[in-house]
Amino acid sequence: MLSEFDDRPAIPLWLLAGAALAMVVHLYLVFMWVPTEATMGIVQRLFYFHVPAAVAQFTACFVGGIAAVLYLVKRDPKYDDLSLAANETVLVFGLVNVGLGMLWAKPIWGIWWTWDPRLTSSFVLLFLYGAYLVLRPAAPVESRGVVCAVVCILGMADVPLVYLSNRLFRTQHPAPVLGGGPDSGLAPPIKATLFFGMFTMMLLWVCVLLVRRRVARLERAAEDLTRRSHELEDVRSY
Amino acid sequence: MVDPNLSWLFWGYAAGWLLIFGYLFFISRKESTLRRKISELQEAMEERWKQKKA
Repeated sequence: MLSEFDDRPAIPLWLLAGAALAMVVHLYLVFMWVPTEATMGIVQRLFYFHVPAAVAQFTACFVGGIAAVLYLVKRDPKYDDLSLAANETVLVFGLVNVGLGMLWAKPIWGIWWTWDPRLTSSFVLLFLYGAYLVLRPAAPVESRGVVCAVVCILGMADVPLVYLSNRLFRTQHPAPVLGGGPDSGLAPPIKATLFFGMFTMMLLWVCVLLVRRRVARLERAAEDLTRRSHELEDVRSY
Repeated sequence: MVDPNLSWLFWGYAAGWLLIFGYLFFISRKESTLRRKISELQEAMEERWKQKKA
């Protein structure tokens, strides 16, 4: 049921203001401050949106997965709501990540897509979370939380595979630039812009997650009220 | 001279922001719809309780 908490704004004002400011600063860093990368040229600037979106997506997978485990242990609906909210954001930020990757690949590789281990595992991850969202309304109400938690934990298990895919296998996807081999690394301005981009995207992701979690609570309340209303109707007709 | 790859950069950022803010707009609309539905349901239930008591 709804509480006083649900009447307050889903996103605290300081967080909203911080995210908006960070977005403006990030755009300034990407388009005005950071120098153009020598080999790929201007299109490399997509990297400052593509990688932060992937970081937000992976964080969402872990938050959704941990919330799913907590739901299985405690059976408290608030964890199921959080898991649903996080899992939906996995799909949104995952689409941004993959979409921007494709827009980078076309001018650099000459192709939109290739079935290499990094891209294939990313596709499987998106597919799993897409399946979660399709399955959720179709599952019986009494077992919905459990079924969805299991699918969500499977999705979370795919994340290390996506992360390690360009470390364990030969891929067309660029080699890791952070935590890679001895030849990996980034120039300081590129690294600073990337890290600031990750910070900005995480703020934005938290804002989206809070709004979605509120909607999940409202959906549960509406569902509960509808069921009680039908029960009352049945009692009257009986 | 304009870089020929500038359009990729433009479309990339435009699509990314559009997707995130489009989603945020969509869930905000959904929140308003759900709030309206909940208050309607609460009113209807209160009405039924009153009828039942009467």
